[in-house]
Formats: sequence, C-alpha cells, structure tokens
Amino acid sequence: MSDRIQFENVSKFYGEVLGVNNVTLSLPPGITSLVGPNGSGKSTLMNLMAGLIQPTRGQVEVMGFSPRRPEAMFRVIGYCTQYDSFPHSVSGFEFIYGWLRLHGLDRHQCAALTNEALQRVRLTEAAHRPVAGYSKGMRQRIRLAQAISHHPTVLILDEPLNGLDPMARAESIALFQDLGHEGMHVIISSHILEEVDRISDQVVLMSHGYVVAEGDIREVRNEVKDHPIQVLIRCSNPGSLAARVFGQDHVVEARLHEDGGGVLVRTRDADSFYLLLNQIAREGLVDIDAVAPADDDVNSIYQYLIGGGAS
Amino acid sequence: MAVYKRTYHAYNGPLTPHRGRFLVISRYCARQMFESRIFSGAVVFSYLPFLIFAGLIYLLNSPMAQGLLKVQGAPPFAIDNQFFMKFLQGMGYFALILCAYAAPGLVSMDMANNALPLYLSRPLSRIEYVLGKALPVAAVLSAVTWVPGVLLYLMQASMAGGGWGWKHLDIVGAILAGSALWIAFLTLVSLAVSSWVRWRIIATAAIVAFFFVPAAFGTAVTLILRTPWGELLNFPYLNTLIWYRLFGLEAPYWSRFPNVPLPAAWLTFLGLSAMALWMLHERIRAREVVRG
Amino acid sequence: MSAVQRIRSFVLDSPWRLWTRQMLAVVRMELKKSVITRRGLWIYLLAFAPVAIIGLHALDMKLRLAHPGSRVHESLSEDTQVLAGIFQFYYLRMGIFFGCMGIFTWLLRGEYVEKTLHYYLLAPIRRELMVLGKFVAGLLTSTLLFATGVLLSFALMYWGLGGEGEQFVFAGPGLGHLGAYLLVTALACVGYGALFMMLSMLLKNPIVPGIILLGWEGISPVFPQAMQKLSVTFYLKHLTPVAVRAEGLMALFTVVTDPVPKWLAVFGLLALSSFVVFLACLKARTLQVSYHTE
Repeated sequence: MSDRIQFENVSKFYGEVLGVNNVTLSLPPGITSLVGPNGSGKSTLMNLMAGLIQPTRGQVEVMGFSPRRPEAMFRVIGYCTQYDSFPHSVSGFEFIYGWLRLHGLDRHQCAALTNEALQRVRLTEAAHRPVAGYSKGMRQRIRLAQAISHHPTVLILDEPLNGLDPMARAESIALFQDLGHEGMHVIISSHILEEVDRISDQVVLMSHGYVVAEGDIREVRNEVKDHPIQVLIRCSNPGSLAARVFGQDHVVEARLHEDGGGVLVRTRDADSFYLLLNQIAREGLVDIDAVAPADDDVNSIYQYLIGGGAS
Repeated sequence: MAVYKRTYHAYNGPLTPHRGRFLVISRYCARQMFESRIFSGAVVFSYLPFLIFAGLIYLLNSPMAQGLLKVQGAPPFAIDNQFFMKFLQGMGYFALILCAYAAPGLVSMDMANNALPLYLSRPLSRIEYVLGKALPVAAVLSAVTWVPGVLLYLMQASMAGGGWGWKHLDIVGAILAGSALWIAFLTLVSLAVSSWVRWRIIATAAIVAFFFVPAAFGTAVTLILRTPWGELLNFPYLNTLIWYRLFGLEAPYWSRFPNVPLPAAWLTFLGLSAMALWMLHERIRAREVVRG
Repeated sequence: MSAVQRIRSFVLDSPWRLWTRQMLAVVRMELKKSVITRRGLWIYLLAFAPVAIIGLHALDMKLRLAHPGSRVHESLSEDTQVLAGIFQFYYLRMGIFFGCMGIFTWLLRGEYVEKTLHYYLLAPIRRELMVLGKFVAGLLTSTLLFATGVLLSFALMYWGLGGEGEQFVFAGPGLGHLGAYLLVTALACVGYGALFMMLSMLLKNPIVPGIILLGWEGISPVFPQAMQKLSVTFYLKHLTPVAVRAEGLMALFTVVTDPVPKWLAVFGLLALSSFVVFLACLKARTLQVSYHTE
C-alpha cells in the first residue's frame, strides 16, 4: 500500500468555472497545509481526494485507494468538511454513533469508539444534547470527533480553524499537532499561512486553481521572503523617482512605465521601500498620485498568505 | 477625523420614481423564472391548446378549409360559451403547473438565504415586496389564460363577422373575470406557501398537494358521508363551478350529488385568499424568530 | 474471466454479512428521520385522513342499525363500492402517490437540500448499498403507514355494518379483498417509490415531473397498451378486487385496460421497479456533492 496522496494531472471544471487545473502532487506522510485565498481551489482539491466530486481529467489516489472505491478508502480516511450542517435533531453522540454503524461495526464497538472520540475533543458532557444547540466551536469539534472516531490514518480538515475564537484555535492546533505526532497523515486547509505553518511539515500554496508552490515549509517561506515584489508608482516625475530609488540595495529593478506616467519598481524588501517612498514624498522630489502592487501573481498571493494584506 | 480625510459622500444623484421601484424585484424574478429552460419550454408548450383551438375556429369559419378536409354536414361543436369555457379550463391546469414551477422559489429562496432583511432595509415596503414577487407570476399566468382566450375571441369575431363579437361580448367578460380569479388565487396561495417553506422543492410539493390532495380527500368525504359538501375541499372544482356561472352555463354534476351552492364556492375562495394574505403578513417581516 | 465466473465470484466472495449490517444501519437512520419525527406528521395525515371519515360513517351506521328495518344489504354493496372508490381514487392516485413523492424524493434530494449527503458519501459503504438502504427505509415507512391506513379503513367500513359486515369479511370475499388492497398498496409504494427516487437523483426539482407523472397515470388509458405498460396504475388496476363504476368525475380516474394475468401484473411492476432502482444505484456511483440553496 502506498503511503502517499497522489494527484496526477488533475483538473476539475464546474461548467465553465475552473476549480483546479492540471494539479500534480504527491503528498508524503506528516502534516500538510493547503494554503491559498478563498476560491483558490483548496476545498476542490480536498473534495477530489475524498471522492465527493470527480475530476474532469486526471487521477487521484489516497494511500493507494481510488475514491471510486469508498468502501475501502474511507476505512483509512477521516474527512472533516467545512459544511456546517448536521442531520435533523441529532445529538452529538448519535451523530458519531450512527455514522460508525455505517462502517459495519457492532453496537458495543460503535459506542466505545464514539465515547473515545468525544473524550478526545472534550465534548463528553454535551454528548447527549442536540447538535443544533451547540456553539460554532462545539460543532466544529463534533465534526472533528466524527472524522477521527474510526481511527483513520489520513485526516483531511477543510478550514478547521474558521470562525473559532483564539482559545478554541489554540486547542484545535494542539490537537492536530498531537494527531500528527501520533503518526497520522493530516491535511489542513487554511487561507492564512501563518496560522498553520507552525505545525506543518509541508505546505502547498494555491491560487486561482493552480498549485503555485509546494514543499518543505522552510523552503517555501524562504522563497516567499526572497522573492521580489513589484510596485507601480504613478507620479509627476518618473525619471527622477527611478534614479532616486535605484540606488537602494533592496531595489532589484526600476523602469519607466510604458505610458511614461509612472515607475515600476521591483524590491526585495517591501517595508523598506515604502519607508523610502514616504521620505521621497516629504522631500517633494515628485508628486505621487498612486502607489499599487503591480503584480497579481505569486508574489502578491504570498504577501496575502503571510498576512501582508489582500492580493 | 481630519476634514481632508473625509472622502465619503452620500449619493445625491437622481432617483427613479418611488412608485415603480418595486418593479426592480419583478424584473429580477422574471429573469430568474426564465433562466430555466424547462420553464421557458413549458410556457411555449402551454400554447399548444391555443393552436388547436385556433385551428378549430379557422376550420369552422373557413369553407375552403372544410372543403380541403372534406368536412360534411353540421359541425360536431359550436364556437360558443362552452367552447371558450373548455379552453380556459384546460389553460387553467397549465397555469397551475407553471405556477407550481415558478412561484415556490420566489420567496422561499429569500427566506433560505436570510435575504428578507436586506430587501426590507431598503426604501421598500412589505406590500411592495409581495407585489414585486407577485407581478411576474401573474404576468406569466395571464400569458397562458386570458391573453390567448381574448385572442381566440378576437379571431372568432373577425372570422365570423356579422356582429358576432358584439353579440358575445359576455364571453370576453367571463374570460377576463374567470382568469383574474384563478390567477389571483394561484399567485396568493403559491406565494403564501413559498413564504412558509424554506426549501423550494418542498414548496413546490406543498403547492401541488394543496390543489390535489384536499380535492381527493373532499371526494372521499363526499363518497363516504354521501354529502356534496366534501367538494368544498376540491378547489379546482370550485373554480370550475364559478367559471360555469361566469360563462352563463349550467354546471354538470361532479358526482352523483348536486353541486355545492355557488356562494359557498365564493366564500371558500375568499376565505382561503384571506388565509394566504395572513400567512404572507406573518412571514414577510424583516426579522426572524429563531427557535431552539 | 467469463461473465458466469464473475457472477460466481461476486456471489461467493462478497462480504454479504458486512453489507447487510451496513444496509441495516442506513435503514435504521432513515427510519428515525422519516417516521419518528414531527416532520413525518404529514404522512400520517395523508395515510389516516380517510380513516377518520370512515370512522364517523361507521358510527353513524352502527346507530342506524340499532333501528329495526334498516337495509344493511344495500349498504354492504354500496359501501364495498365506496371503499373501492376511496382506495382507487384517494389512496392509489393521491395519498400513496404524494406520500411516495414526499418520502422517496426527500431520501436523497433532502440530503442535498440540508447539506448532509456528504456524511453518507464519506462512510466506507458502497454507494449502491446506501441507495438500497434508503429505498428499503422509504418502502417500510410508506407501506407500513398506508397499509395500516387501508387496513383501518377496511376494518371500520365493515365494522359499521355489524353482523352482515362480519359475515362478509370472515365468511365471504372480504379477507380476499383486504389481501388484494394490501398487496396493491405495497406494490404502489414499490413502483412510485422507485420512480420518485430515480427522479430525485436526476433532477434538482423532481416535483414538477412528478405532476407530469400524475397526469400520465391519469391519461395513460387512452394510449395503446404498450405505452400503458409504462404506468404504475396499469399493473395495479388488474389487482384491485372491486372495479369502480365510472360515475361523474370518477370516470376520468378510472383506468380501462385489457385484462392482464395477476402474476404478470405483480412481476411486471416488480421488474420495472427493480430496473429503476438498479439505474438509481448506477447513478449513485457518480454522485457528486455540490450544495447550493434549493
């Protein structure tokens, strides 16, 4: 049996809308984070893994199992989706117990596993209350409990930290870390890299349905840091501005915009560059009309992901 | 905040007239309805009886067509009140199906998405909201009831000549009044049901069941208790009863019992319409009571 | 591997025990959802509404029978006809039809609407088993409720007729009638259930095609027999114990078809339904979850 999650040239289109395009990935054991802005294709990738949707092209395999054989695959997978919905008038206990019965386990085994999972997410006391009355954090935890209740080897968590308060976030992250240390293959999606990079062994960065970077978390972070960003400055005297900024170490490139009304600057240190720009504005060397990130590509996505603002 | 930082300005440009503003809702509803190709197809298909009835009018008024089709002797039917009544009766069922398809999503989707507060936080009253939703439904139902009915009447009047149109002006009145009654009832009931059910699929089922299940139960009551009053639950029957009267015709017996009195039919319709209005009044509010 | 070998290996090597357990788990969950909740109240109403009216009638008959000279004999034949009318007109065409529409449509479409289908799809269970389990649960619910409704209607109708009614049931053709009514009820649930479950898997809003189906069931007698065979009522008509006399509007609802052997009617309907359920199972294998507001 393979110990990897494999995507081979996988594409998914919803009609004319792109979900993910031409994804080829091989995820090793450990904690893997799928990171990207909303709509980047993280959930699509996870749903493809679990067979909730089928690829338009390509093949997916989880630990050697095809999603077309759910009866075998879901013995080793637990998937905590981001759908915050539950069967009507079900209690936390019934929710997990009923689902375990679908595995074909007998009543005693199901009850024991249910109690164990409830204990793990610390919901034992609320177990027999209707899920409809749970708080957002409790609902998130009960879904997590269901996903881990059958002792899977792969745990997929779609935006598990969404809507949680800082306390619940910290608790959840600690739990994921524990599960990872126990040898579980954990895949977490998030739209903020900083949120998950502390616990991740590897990361997959996604944007607009494409995988833009993948690999060891340290390598990706270094790549993010080293990669220059491009800024367009609309101003009255672009030539002077270009000459002034080009003298700085962190500025890689400064060139006049095609329409002659601005300068395109590529810098390795955005913070230092913006400080310099403030200084130039105060000096009155040029009249600045507008400053905007000029690239909508990987760099701006990186900035967004590491918390540098919207791309 | 420093004055120079205050860049926000409220909109003070021209506004559309207040009276017709609810038509924005109608426009969107109409677009939503016709986005479905099935619905558009059904509207087109519902004109099939119109074409058949128009063909019959043409055949009865054209000696050339009769000659071509070798029709001899007296025609088996006449173009009279009965003819238009049968047409409207058939179209009434098409109207019911179109209404069941189009209307359920109109309010229930807003409920499901918690969109009512968004609508009603605009300068838009609850009545305007309902009117905006009802108008496209009524328009579609008109397009398959009185509009083709009046067209058939005009066709017959122009082909028959000899003042046929003036002599049978009561038919137009009956078509318009009968259609108006059915359209108003269908629209009110479907919007009311739609406002009480969050899911479109259930709303559709509830609307269909409203017209068929009580009818069956009413007939069961009639059969078991040997009384005509069970038919008060048979709304399509009550509507037909009223239509017969509007067309100046004697209604045939529905079962072996006499028909229910006409005022009872009118009262039932009025009562149900009042109930539908009350349901809309209760549900179309900018707040929601959350239980549990 | 030849087809015979494949079938042999499927029969011998499949984990039937596990599959049975899993299917029973689905059935249990579904029964809990549809039968034992307030949401299922409408099915009870649909199934038992005529029972209340027949109960009133039975009481009335009992009171009248207390007076000497009442003509029970006439009432017996009339009430037998009325019961047949109620069964064909109310139960078969409306109650069971709409009941199955609601129950079987909601089995899968309801999971979409409530955004809970993924819980089933994320369990280690063959999707065909999930569909079969849901179908069996729907069948149990609908058959249990409507058969009980029919049984109570039958019992009350003849109870009201006193000794003559008892005679008809226990010493006459009564029990045969009851058996036939119950068989037709169960078969109607199978037929309509399979159709509605399939429709709910193909369409976002299967109710409108349901109305068209209702129309088809009503007008199919005017079509050639080959086409009539595509309607559920075609098969059921030949199994009902009492023919309903066409009378007034009832004429519109009375199916007139050439005689069909009873065994053919039963197996024809079962074969048609099995084929539809088989298609539903195939469709389930490619089922995808894409929730949106419906």
